[in-house]
Parts: sequence; C-alpha cells; structure tokens
Amino acid sequence: MKLLEIKNLHASIAGKEILKGINLTINAGEVHAIMGPNGAGKSTISAVLTGHPAYTVTEGQVLLNGKDLLAMPAEQRAREGVFLSFQYPVEIPGVSMTNFLRTAVNEKRQYEGKEPLKATEFLRLMREKKQLLEMAEKLDNRAVNEGFSGGEKKKNEIFQMAMLEPCLSILDETDSGLDIDALRIVASGVNKLKTPNNASIVITHYQRLLDYIVPDFVHVLADGQIVKTGDKSLALELEEKGYEWLNQ
Amino acid sequence: MAQPIIITQSGHYHYQQTEPSDLLIYVLCLSSADIDIEVEQTVPNAQVDIRALAYISNKDCARIHTHVRHLASKGTSHQTVKFVLNDEATGEFFGDLNIAHGAQQIDAQQTNRNILLSDNAQMRTRPQLVIYADDVKASHGASTGQLDETALFYMQQRGIGVETAKQMLLKAFVQDVLPLTLDGVVEHLQQRLLELGLTEEV
Repeated sequence: MKLLEIKNLHASIAGKEILKGINLTINAGEVHAIMGPNGAGKSTISAVLTGHPAYTVTEGQVLLNGKDLLAMPAEQRAREGVFLSFQYPVEIPGVSMTNFLRTAVNEKRQYEGKEPLKATEFLRLMREKKQLLEMAEKLDNRAVNEGFSGGEKKKNEIFQMAMLEPCLSILDETDSGLDIDALRIVASGVNKLKTPNNASIVITHYQRLLDYIVPDFVHVLADGQIVKTGDKSLALELEEKGYEWLNQ
Repeated sequence: MAQPIIITQSGHYHYQQTEPSDLLIYVLCLSSADIDIEVEQTVPNAQVDIRALAYISNKDCARIHTHVRHLASKGTSHQTVKFVLNDEATGEFFGDLNIAHGAQQIDAQQTNRNILLSDNAQMRTRPQLVIYADDVKASHGASTGQLDETALFYMQQRGIGVETAKQMLLKAFVQDVLPLTLDGVVEHLQQRLLELGLTEEV
C-alpha cells in the first residue's frame, strides 16, 4: 500500500532552491534511508514534509495515504501521522513533558474523533511505552528537553514517537551526537516500533546508523535530487568510496 | 516568610526595611497602570523579592518603576519583572538599583523579560545600577522578543494546535513570576487571568 508519494517536489528557502525535483514512493512496512553530502537537501526534505514555515514549495505534490499533505498546516500533518525526530530537539522551559505529551496525544485523539485520555490512562500509557523502549530516565516532571543531555534528547524523541504512534516517522540525523550505547537504545526503539502499517525515513550522513536500523532502500541525495537508489549495500559502498564517487 | 504584599493598582508604594526582614512583593497589571515601588534597606540582612507581571492589550500602557536602595550591608534584592504586550499596548520598566557607599556584600539581581505578541506593541526598558560599594554581587538582564518560533514549530509537529501551543508557552512564561492561584489576587483579576487562559477555574 502506498503510504507516501512525493512527486517532482521543488522547494526553496529565502528564494534559494534546495529541492530540485524529488520523486519518492514509500509503501507501508518499508524503511528508506536518505544519504548524501552536507548541503544536498536532506534536512530540507524533513522540513518540507512537516510544514516548516521557512520553506516554500514551488512545484510538485506530496500525498500521504492519498491526501494532499502540503495543503495541511503543520499540526494537522502531525495528527495525520507524520512524525519528525528532530536533529536538534527544542528545549521548552516551563512546559512539563507530561503536560506537553498529554496535550499532543489528546489533540490527535480529538482529531480522530476519540475521547481524550484521562490522567490515569495517560500515565499508564507512558509507563507502557517506557517499558517497551527500556528507558529508565525519569523525564515526566522535567520541562521538555530542558537540561537533557544529547542522548536523553534523542531518546526522548523516540519516546514521543512511541506515544504518538505515527504512520510515517522521519528520523533526521538521529545518530548525530550519540555515543554507541545511546545509538543502540535509540535504534532498538525504532525497530520495536516498526509494524507492517508504518514506515520510516532515516536521514543520515553516515552508514553507522544503518547497521542498527536496516533500510529496505537507500537513496542518495545530491544537489536537491535523488541521484541513485539501491538496497542497503549502497550505503556500504558510499561509506567506502565517499560521495565524490557519484560524480565520476 | 512574611505575608506577601500584592499590588494591582496604580500608585507610589514605599517600604522601609528597618529590621532584618523578608519582604515579598507581587505586582500584577492587567490593564493600564502606573506603579512606582520604592524599597529602602536601612539595616543589614534585609531581603526583598519583587515579582511583577504586566499582561496588557488594546492601547493600554503599563509602567512599572522600581527603586531599590541598599543602605546597609549583607542585603539581598531579587527582581523579576515580565511584560506580555498585545495589540498596541506599551510597557515601560525602569529599574533603579542603588548600592550605597559602605553597603558591602549585597546580592542584587534584576531580570526583565518581555514578550511582544503583536508588531504594534512597544516595550521600553531601562535598568539603572548605581553602585558605590566594591564587594557586591549585582546583575541585571533585559530581553524583549516574540514567542519562541522554534518551540512553536516543535509543538505543532507533535500535533498541538498553534493557539494551544502559544497559550502553553505564555503560561510557562508567566507562571515562574507569579503563582497564579495567589490568595488575595482580587476577583476581577482572577477572572481576567481565567479569560487569558493563564489560570484554571478553582
């Protein structure tokens, strides 16, 4: 089943064109890796798919489960099941993790026509997801990401992903700034959350993460276009030969 | 801690700390007001804490002026003053801090943070520290800006509607200055806070 269809997507920021015709179809159950050198437009893809206000789509179409994704405001895209694990998760002083997540979960439930979760149900859900991910951290009473270490921030992103159960998760440079232990926990969380009904886009500069989250497809992005697509062996080839090899 | 003083109306308020006491002053402005607070510490080991919030809209103008004078040693003054300005509202903070000659080992902190919710709102801020003693800790900081756009986008990306997200950020901004369920906040102010979504019905 087609989950996401990106057709001839062009996007720019401050008048500068970054994406120059992206075509990509993702089916439910698949993991797609997007690799590429710095400045290729990797993070722009995640920003455009999630509706970041700084980017303008100049051409093309994106369908999520057949719906016009680009016509929706950012919060609606999230409620339709698009989740971004941020490269740099944002600190929000004064807003507790519990309040933040409970609001997010309940706004999504309301959108789906479901009753909001009561406090006790919500806390139970938080406990279950924490157990599933084997996260020992006590994040609930702390302000969102405030004073979290780099590893805690990334684990917290995956925890939020578990709570919101997205159909499409985009992991933007999730491996950056992680030591190997944190990387394993984060990757195992992502793997546990995988179902036949959801899909992931893993954006990464290095092959390392893909040892833990094994992609079905690897796409190489260069200068705003996908220049090569292959299976996981392509990532190894890139690791060995570098991105320069593609220009030859 | 002594019973806090709660100021919600225009006027000149003068306090003299003539014994080693703790003074806690809350200021809450939800419409035009002109508030002038003067605190004088004449004996050692006096402490004053001033926490002020102005949250105004329309063409309202709120002025909060503080004058803190440390005349004796080992005194403490902490000031946190915040403005939230909507529409064409104007805010003004003048923070005058004076540490007299020979008033040593003073700990004086002054923080002024302001959020403009509209392009037509205006804030004027003027911290003024005059220090005649040489063994003191004195700091001040002032910032004026809009709600954090990166935080807003992060919240929207989690499915939180933009209006709800703004409300959550504003509530976080104001609640570290004032406990919003403060006893003694007169009823119409409670009602306004409720309308602004900054407090819940008790």
